[in-house]
This record gives sequence, C-alpha cells and structure tokens, in this order.
Amino acid sequence: MKASNKASRLLARAGGISAAAFTASAAFPALAFAAEEEGSGGISAILPNMTEFIPMVVAFILLLLILGKFGWPMFQGMLDKREASIKDSLEKAEEARIESERALAEYKTQLEDAKAQAAQIVADAKATGEAVKTDITAKAQAEAEQMIAKARVAIEAEKQAAIAELQASVADTSIAVASRLIGENLSDDEHRAIVARYVDEAGSFNAN
Amino acid sequence: MPTNRLVVKETVDTYASVLLDAANAAGGQDAVLEVRDQLEVVTKALRSNVDLEVALAEEAYTPEQRETLVRNVFAGMNPALAETLLVMAERDDLGLAGRIYRAYDEQIEEKLGVAVVDVTTVVELDDALRETISNKAAQDLGKQVVLREHVDKSILGGIIMSVSGRRIDASIATQLDTARTVLKTTDGGEC
Repeated sequence: MKASNKASRLLARAGGISAAAFTASAAFPALAFAAEEEGSGGISAILPNMTEFIPMVVAFILLLLILGKFGWPMFQGMLDKREASIKDSLEKAEEARIESERALAEYKTQLEDAKAQAAQIVADAKATGEAVKTDITAKAQAEAEQMIAKARVAIEAEKQAAIAELQASVADTSIAVASRLIGENLSDDEHRAIVARYVDEAGSFNAN
Repeated sequence: MPTNRLVVKETVDTYASVLLDAANAAGGQDAVLEVRDQLEVVTKALRSNVDLEVALAEEAYTPEQRETLVRNVFAGMNPALAETLLVMAERDDLGLAGRIYRAYDEQIEEKLGVAVVDVTTVVELDDALRETISNKAAQDLGKQVVLREHVDKSILGGIIMSVSGRRIDASIATQLDTARTVLKTTDGGEC
C-alpha cells in the first residue's frame, strides 16, 4: 500500500512536470516567437523557433516515450492492482455479508433447534421424573404391602403358637386335675365298676 | 453267648422248654406259673441291676464261685429255675432271660393249653371281675385262661391285659394321655 502511494506520488510529479512544460509551451507561444518577432515580424511571428521547438518536441517525445514505456505500465499496473484490490475487497465484503447472513440464519436455526431441544429435554426430564416418582411410589407401596403381609404372617404365627401353648397348658392342667380327681375320689368299688365296664367295652385280643 | 438268630432262638426255646418241663414235673401247673412269676422278677432284676449283671458276667470268677454267687442271689427261687439260671450263668446266657421268659409263656400256651393273662388294675380284683375277665379272655383266645394279677396305682384306673405279647390297654392313664394329645393337637378355632 505504501509502495503504491510512493509510485503514485512519482507519477504525479512526472506528469506534473510534463504537463507544466506542455501547458507552458501551449499557453505562451508568444515567448517562443518573441525573438523572431523582434527580428523578422509577420508570419514568422506565429511560427515556432525551430531551434527551440525541435528540442522541445524531441524532449516531449522522449518524455512521452519514457513515460509510455515505464510510467504508464506501472501506473496501469497500479490501477489494475487497485481495481483488483477494490473488487476483491468488495467481493470479500459481499461474501462476508452473505456468509454473515447465512451464519445468522444458521444461528437462528440452531437457536430454534436448541430451544426446541431444550424444551424437549425439559419435557423428557419431567416425564422421566414423573415416571421415577411413580416407580418409587409403586415400589414403596409394594414394600409396605410386603412388610404388612410379613407382619400379618408373623402375628398369625405368634398367635397360633400362643394358642397352641395355651391349649397345651390347658390340656396338661385338665389332665392333671382329672388324674388327681380320679385317683383321690374314686372308691375301690367304683374302680371295679370301671374295670368291669372297660372289659366289656375293650377290644378283642384277636383284634391286635 | 451265640449271636446267630436261629441259634439264639433254638437256645432260648431249649432253656424255656427245659424249665417248663422241670417245673411241670415238679409241681404241675402251679409250679409252672410260679416259675413264670419268678422268671419275670429275675428278668426285671437283671435289666435294672447293672452291678448284678456285671458280677454275673465277670470272667475272673471260677465256675464254683459263679455257682455260689447265683445260688446266693437267687436263693428261695423254684429249684428248677435256680438250676436253669445256674446253667445260664455258666454259659454266659443270662442276657437271654427276657427272651426265655417270652418263650416260656408261649410254651405254656402250647404245651399246657393254658393262656396266662397278666391283668393290671388299680385295686384288687374280686371274684366277679375275675370271672368276667377270664370269660372274655377265654372267649377271645379259645383256651383255658389263668390270670396273673398285678396292682399298679400309676394306671389311675381301668385295666391292662396282656398275653403272649398281645395287649389290651383300657387304663385311664392311657385314655387321659390320648385325651391330652387330642387336646393339644386339635385346632381350637379362632379366638
């Protein structure tokens, strides 16, 4: 960029010089014909002094050639380069704009997707939480029912054991009381009467 | 003492037969029944008295010492039984006394045609009861019956009759035990 500015300045200077020479010779032809006018007058007054004109033309042509050979291509190159640079910048800016619009659209899409995804995640989380809650509640209820059932079984077993123990105790007591009453209260004749009845009711030896 | 079952049975039957014949020859049915009662006492004594059992089986004694021991221990027994026990002691066969007692019982039934019925009651039997029991046993067994009476207060009441391994238990103690078992096992229903 700096080099191109320098070249621009050189060209501007060279152009300025040649333009000044050309402008001076064109604007003030009276100076070139002044000596002639002073010497001869007439038509010579409007004709250029060849001794000055030709070197000037040669110098002009040389300058034109030099500038055409070296300056113009450089200038043209710089212009082309500048044009390409600007065009490139414009294209890049356009591409960047398009890219930014595309990115914006993509970001918007992604944002929408993200929002939808977040909503879905929240919904899923809620559903999962609800399911877990239901599952935990069901498990807790089942465990509670099992505990209650086990407790009922245990209570029933203890109840049956207590009943059996009480039954056995009552049986032992009853038999003990009956044994004592029979042993103490029956007379010999009553015993014999019982023996006689039992002999009648007893089974046969052959049945054994 | 033999261990083969057939040999043991033959030995037991021989002892029982010899004892029965000797007792019967000496005193008839009364002597036979007396020997039976005494043999029962001897069997119970041998089962319950370990010192006696060990002493009679002591190998350090000479035959004379063992004979003296047996005669002293079983003094007052029927001579036929005493002699048989002496032989059993010499042959180390006193452990067969229980089986000889049962075989003796069976041989009484076979050889004499008399069934010896053991009757256990709480009180002494009167004549009417003896007749009732004898008639029932004779009707059941189909032969003449002799009652051997025992009094045992532990049966509480009723009667136990047994003959040759067959037994009728109509005692109150057994009935109470049955009632106790029924009361303990029967479901009492909901309380």
